[in-house]
Amino acid sequence: MIKYVMRRAATYLVMIFLTTSAGYLLAVSTLNPALLEQEKIPRPSPEQVQANFASLGLDPSLSAWDRYTQWLTNIFLHWDWGRSPNGAYINVEFGQRIWVSTRLYLAAVILSIIIGVALGVYSAARQYKFSDRAITGYSYLVYILPAPVAYFLVQMGAVAINSAAGQRVFFVTGISSPGVEPGWPAFVDLAAHYVVPTFCITIMSWGGFQIAQRQYLLDSINADFVRTARAKGLTRNQAIRRHALRVSFIPVAQSIAFTVPAIFAGGFFAEAIFAWPGIGLWSIQAIGAQDVNAAAATLAYGSFLFALGAIIADIATTVVDPRVRIS
Amino acid sequence: MSSQPSLDMSPATGILTTVDLNKGEFEIISKRKIIFRRFMRNRTAVAGLAIFLLVVAFGFLGGLVSPWDTTSIDPLYISTGPSAVHWFGTTSAGTDLYAQMVEAVRTSVLIGLIVGAVSVVFAAVYGCVMAYFGGKVDKVMLFFLETMIMAPSILVVAIVVNGSGGEQIRQNVPGWLLLTIVLLIFNWMYTARVIRSMAMSLISRDYVKAARYMGVPPMKIVWRHLVPNIGSLLVLEFTRGISAAILAEVSYTFIGIGVKYPNFSLGSLISQASSQINTLPWMFWIPLLFFFLLVGPLSLMNDGLRDAFDPTSLSVGKVKKKKK
Repeated sequence: MIKYVMRRAATYLVMIFLTTSAGYLLAVSTLNPALLEQEKIPRPSPEQVQANFASLGLDPSLSAWDRYTQWLTNIFLHWDWGRSPNGAYINVEFGQRIWVSTRLYLAAVILSIIIGVALGVYSAARQYKFSDRAITGYSYLVYILPAPVAYFLVQMGAVAINSAAGQRVFFVTGISSPGVEPGWPAFVDLAAHYVVPTFCITIMSWGGFQIAQRQYLLDSINADFVRTARAKGLTRNQAIRRHALRVSFIPVAQSIAFTVPAIFAGGFFAEAIFAWPGIGLWSIQAIGAQDVNAAAATLAYGSFLFALGAIIADIATTVVDPRVRIS
Repeated sequence: MSSQPSLDMSPATGILTTVDLNKGEFEIISKRKIIFRRFMRNRTAVAGLAIFLLVVAFGFLGGLVSPWDTTSIDPLYISTGPSAVHWFGTTSAGTDLYAQMVEAVRTSVLIGLIVGAVSVVFAAVYGCVMAYFGGKVDKVMLFFLETMIMAPSILVVAIVVNGSGGEQIRQNVPGWLLLTIVLLIFNWMYTARVIRSMAMSLISRDYVKAARYMGVPPMKIVWRHLVPNIGSLLVLEFTRGISAAILAEVSYTFIGIGVKYPNFSLGSLISQASSQINTLPWMFWIPLLFFFLLVGPLSLMNDGLRDAFDPTSLSVGKVKKKKK
């Protein structure tokens, strides 16, 4: 099993390398920070701009390939992801934001898997009853709802609740309040800020898991081995839990990896709507400021998250599927 | 496999030869016709199709009945709600929302149709080739596909849409078409994966083996034996792809990395109105309503099509016997 997971991890590393490289080359050939410099007052001369960027390692006169090799050597030798056009170090900027985003995405991913799978099992066991129709109907509704618009509406709702209650019940922007004492109060404050964005991403993401789990469980709920289990004296719930669920979870587990990009994008939207200083908001702003290195770093981060999701999926598959463990 | 089963094709069973065609004891219904009839029996799906066609017609013909265009300012009506002069109201700058809606719906529909159609064709070819050749070809192509899934498309959209290096391209290609191309590049992979696994099970069927042994060229087998058998899936993925692309456009534009002024799309209208939702509510709710009138009917149609294609589905009702 470990060997299998290691082999998959090696493949994902190659994939991360490829997506990041392709992303860097795309960014370096389309983004041009020198154009923004010309809007500054007083306008710097072209020589000043050139010298400024050259000192930052963003020399626009070099070819895309030269800049790529230079950037790649710096990463491999010094783990240095370069600098922004305004002189900031990507490593520092990234380090400040990475935990903000990772905590948010991980919490949302885990919550949506658990809720989605649980609701899928619940609705499959009650096929075509009212609860099944309501739960599945909701999941299909989420499919046709654009995530940022939904977040925006939730935000409006939270604001409405706040003004109705006359005090701040929910925090709808930012990640922490200024002037909160460190320690326990700071933690409570942080958690309070996490509630609304995590809630938003989760309610928009579990639908896919719910539909998949319901579908696969319905496929196996009438299978012969489940009937055999019933005949041996297990109750219906026991038979579903011990026999049908295990089989039907395999394809769901395999699909976890492919929902991570959607949750990642959902996190981007959430950060943009709730003004969170995370990777998502930062990268959109950085790309707007024609920042090649920041764009490449976020691409690597996004690919890394996908790989993480894929490895979770692989491990989950090996746990529930004996065929993978043996071969 | 032809869609018109003819009588002389299956004399081996000995059933058809005993029936006299001229007596009209039975009716041959082509596969296409069966599916069409099953679809038309599903009321919600037909309603969905009608609404969708109406909204599309609004996007392409709606501009003919209104005297306003998207940019001209009416100083007498600034930030006014829907009225007899401006049917959908005006923006805070005094431009006509109806005219903008027409262009927005047209842009969104075009993005949806182009992305849906092209990506499904590409996914079909890619998935079938993977399944047909198998082995190394399959491995390499699957690796490429998974790498494409892994790349965070939202960032690539942001880079391409914001990049000023592509200024020359932007002058020739309108902004929404650029977005369409990027969406297209990142929209085919999931479909291709599904098609691959479906095609793989078809490949092991006897008729494909027979064709292979007879020396039929690979591409011909793919086209003649695989594509018709996954046809229903392709149609479903086409309608799904349309709504996915419309949805993606709205999402990306909402956070500022999609369609930009002077182009209008549903996303750009919704997002520009979101800051004024309390003062100019119609600016937000009308585009959102049109968005649901586009995407909702599409999913109803998708549902109806799935039932129409699925021979075991009972939700399409039964054939009414013709009275003689």
